[in-house]
Amino acid sequence: MEAISHAGTVLGVLAKDGVVLAAEKKVTGKLLDLSGAKEGGYGGSGEKIFLLNSNVISGVAGITADANSLVNYARTAAQRHLFSYDEDIPVEQLAQRLCDLKQGYTQYGGLRPFGVSLLYAGYDVHYQFQLYHSDPSGNYSGWKATCIGANNGTAQSLLKQEYKDDISVEDAIGLAVRVMGKTMDSTTLGSEKLEFAVLTLDKSTKQPHARIYKPAEVDALLAEHGLGKKEEDAEMKAA
Amino acid sequence: MSIMEYNGGSVVAMVGKNCVAIASDLRLGNQALNVATFDKIFPVTDRIYIGLSGLATDVSTLRERFRFRVNMYTIKEEREIEPDTFAHLVSSTLYEKRFGPFFIEPVIAGISSPSRGSKPFIAAADLIGCLNFAKDFVVAGTASSELFGIAEGLWEPDLEPEDLFETISQTLLNAVDRDAFSGWGAVVHVITPDRVITRTLKGRMD
Repeated sequence: MEAISHAGTVLGVLAKDGVVLAAEKKVTGKLLDLSGAKEGGYGGSGEKIFLLNSNVISGVAGITADANSLVNYARTAAQRHLFSYDEDIPVEQLAQRLCDLKQGYTQYGGLRPFGVSLLYAGYDVHYQFQLYHSDPSGNYSGWKATCIGANNGTAQSLLKQEYKDDISVEDAIGLAVRVMGKTMDSTTLGSEKLEFAVLTLDKSTKQPHARIYKPAEVDALLAEHGLGKKEEDAEMKAA
Repeated sequence: MSIMEYNGGSVVAMVGKNCVAIASDLRLGNQALNVATFDKIFPVTDRIYIGLSGLATDVSTLRERFRFRVNMYTIKEEREIEPDTFAHLVSSTLYEKRFGPFFIEPVIAGISSPSRGSKPFIAAADLIGCLNFAKDFVVAGTASSELFGIAEGLWEPDLEPEDLFETISQTLLNAVDRDAFSGWGAVVHVITPDRVITRTLKGRMD
């Protein structure tokens, strides 16, 4: 729990036509090699936001190694369900599988629990868009908007004030970006510190479509909401 | 009779110029009795198709197993699997059941990704995973002997997609007409770097 309260913030917002996840990265720096993330793959740096299945994305906060292990378990669990039932795993069931695993580590074995809290953002045909939160005890609950990691109290109260039922996914994106801007240090808000993802329904195929933003897309999003890094040098040149 | 002949069915794949084609019959039988139309070729990615001949229940199960493993690969590697990598995945999946095998003879056809040169690729395996990387054509199923003979006669290198379609169609149709356990219609997929064209053939429904 201690590790989680010091980990990078992850917040999720549920909209009527999508779910949004935003996360603050803690592992940053000039020497970090992000070339893989820039072009190929699903975007994101693979530190905070992960694709679990075609219909579920998740944000993690806590001990990264434990998080990677849980994400791997979740991906396998989702595929096992697909294998047996030929359908995408319902979001709550995926949360339950992970929570059953986490709870086992609190009751049996003499092993330490997983030091990770997760937010699951997903879609299924039964309950449409959903957002769940689980913690190391194996407890989970459904949310309209929630936050884990550092400064989660501040972010949670900000979300409580500004969240309205039936918001659209565009408004949810704006809300997530603004709340992240307030909980993080805004002058350094940029794609190196922020991971962003949206899960919506593809209009033509009616299938869930997850999009983890690439660094360039994160910068564009921040610029759109007026929260991009201030280019001091450029301003000097203009003057 | 052999368990591999219980349901019947045959698959063939051929290499052309910057394209591959894979074709199969559509018969599902219960020994001599015709039961249903059963497609045995499945897309693995946009550019890779796998045809599974042999026992029908194993065809369905293996198709789902490969989907599981390819999904895990795609999510973890964050890229699509290459045809030759997939062929090795097929081989190891089958060898896992070395002493209680799936009664399947898979045929794989695909084109590698643009970053690897968009090269045509075909392969076949036996029921315990021995791979065969042919450069011309591969065959499997109850009409495999007939397919070997006709393909050997009709195939030539560097066929364009339309010509490859004609060649593989004639190979399949005439081979299954000589085999009691294959037939009941046919389907052909021609895979090129930018699209896949699927055609259903009219064949003897006996």
